[in-house]
Amino acid sequence: MKLELHRLNVKSLKFAEKTGFADGVLSVNKAELLSLIAEDPLLGKNLDVDLAMPGESVRIMPVKDVIEPRWKIEGKGQIFPGLLSDVETVGEGKTLVLSGAAVLTAGKLVRFQEGIIDMSGPGADYTPYSKTCNVVLVLEPSDPNMDKHDYEKACRMAGLKAAAYLAKSCADVKADSVEVYEQANIREGMNNLPGLPKVGYLYMLQTQGLLHDTYLYGVDVKKILPTFLSPLEVMDGAIVSGNCVSACDKNSTYSHQNNPVIADMLKRHGKDFNFIGCIVTNENVTLADKRRSSTYATKLAAMLGLDGLVITEEGFGNPDADLIMNCWKAERLGIKTALLTDEYAGQDGASQSLADSCPEGDACVTAGNANEVIKLPAMKKVIGYAQEADVIAGGWNGSLADDGSITVELQAITGSTSELGYTKLGAYTL
Amino acid sequence: MLKLITNNMNLYNTVRNGEFIDGSSLSVLIRVRSLVHLGSKILTHPLCGNLRPNHQPFRSVIIDEKSGPADLESLSLIEDAVRVYQSCKLIMPEEIDEATLKDYAYIDSELMKESLIQFSLLTHNP
Repeated sequence: MKLELHRLNVKSLKFAEKTGFADGVLSVNKAELLSLIAEDPLLGKNLDVDLAMPGESVRIMPVKDVIEPRWKIEGKGQIFPGLLSDVETVGEGKTLVLSGAAVLTAGKLVRFQEGIIDMSGPGADYTPYSKTCNVVLVLEPSDPNMDKHDYEKACRMAGLKAAAYLAKSCADVKADSVEVYEQANIREGMNNLPGLPKVGYLYMLQTQGLLHDTYLYGVDVKKILPTFLSPLEVMDGAIVSGNCVSACDKNSTYSHQNNPVIADMLKRHGKDFNFIGCIVTNENVTLADKRRSSTYATKLAAMLGLDGLVITEEGFGNPDADLIMNCWKAERLGIKTALLTDEYAGQDGASQSLADSCPEGDACVTAGNANEVIKLPAMKKVIGYAQEADVIAGGWNGSLADDGSITVELQAITGSTSELGYTKLGAYTL
Repeated sequence: MLKLITNNMNLYNTVRNGEFIDGSSLSVLIRVRSLVHLGSKILTHPLCGNLRPNHQPFRSVIIDEKSGPADLESLSLIEDAVRVYQSCKLIMPEEIDEATLKDYAYIDSELMKESLIQFSLLTHNP
């Protein structure tokens, strides 16, 4: 399997008569993009598209999802299979990427669930999406009493459509850079690198219900048994987020497309270990589902003869139980594990960080304490609805002050404690 | 016998066998803990959803109500859940407006729906 990512480096955005890319500027025909989104009868009349650039005094809230514009210019299938395009397997050929650009979906859904993105100020340091040039879709349902599943889907689809539209409109531009990724089939993969440990990636996805769901090739992941996936499929949008709870540690569609665990494992493949592939699993509510999925996922790892597993969690509380089951079940099968999670250790950091634990979980990386409190100063412009700060997860009554500043836990900031490690904050080896 | 323990009236009204707790989320967890001590087994994770306790006025847990020795897995789960609640220093805001409360109840119902269907406990849609 071979995938080329053809990158156009987006450094700026502007509204223009024609959507396209030149000299680092992504031009957006607002009317055309709006009419594309408005085709969905589930969305209302007061839709808007706005632009937000790094460093601007802009706050965007409530944010549902972040999506990187991509479009397949060669090869089987198309971006976001099973949702936007047909169900053909992706991960091969050439994919155009508008690097540095992102589509954000914003608008009220269920009031306390979505996140905040500040483009400047102290809050900007905590979200990677303050560094992207953002095309923001401000959405509303056509009927205020619409079923929330229908509206969630409409928002999700609007984001995917916009991301595909933007990239497709730039498909004839020559890439600024090309990255080539190759993944051997399992037979070759197993024999290729004798002497190096075989390592897999156990990719846990949030799957508890409305606003807590994730889709794999369009299939609701809570309904799957754990399955095997090439990391290259993920880059073409095989995994799409349908959740935004809580904003700090939800894996946005953007962070799936750019999963840094996959990127790093591919880099170290052949040097430190032999990266065999990804096992995708869910985080359901019933204990029977948890036991079934953790047993099945670790069984797949054992069948592949893996020596080690990197495990990433999505969310906290209920998923902590899945993380811990995955950990000890793998370890007891002789597979070493390294866990990536975040912490809910209270505002003073003194409480136990996870709702579950096991002695086998002795290699654990944290993305930060989501309960840490931050004061976000007022911004000159708010895209969306600032009053939602009072009810958004991580906020509380009185979070929004009269001067426009907001005091919240990091929980409320989109991607601030990403459990895929897609964050700008951390310790670096110099 | 399968049973839903909940303080969410909307959800309570849709199940075959339920126990309504007129109290907080923590009261629900403490009631579940008592039932676990008496031998009941927990079937759904007591911390389902992804909100801190102060953002979760409703809690719902499905159990298999039995008497006998305590199930250790259930006991560990419910003790951990109670600990998470007790460690959360922020309490629920005293006044929550009607629309927000409705949203909380709705999400709680939605997260439990799949499990209620799986255990054939749902009589009609919440």
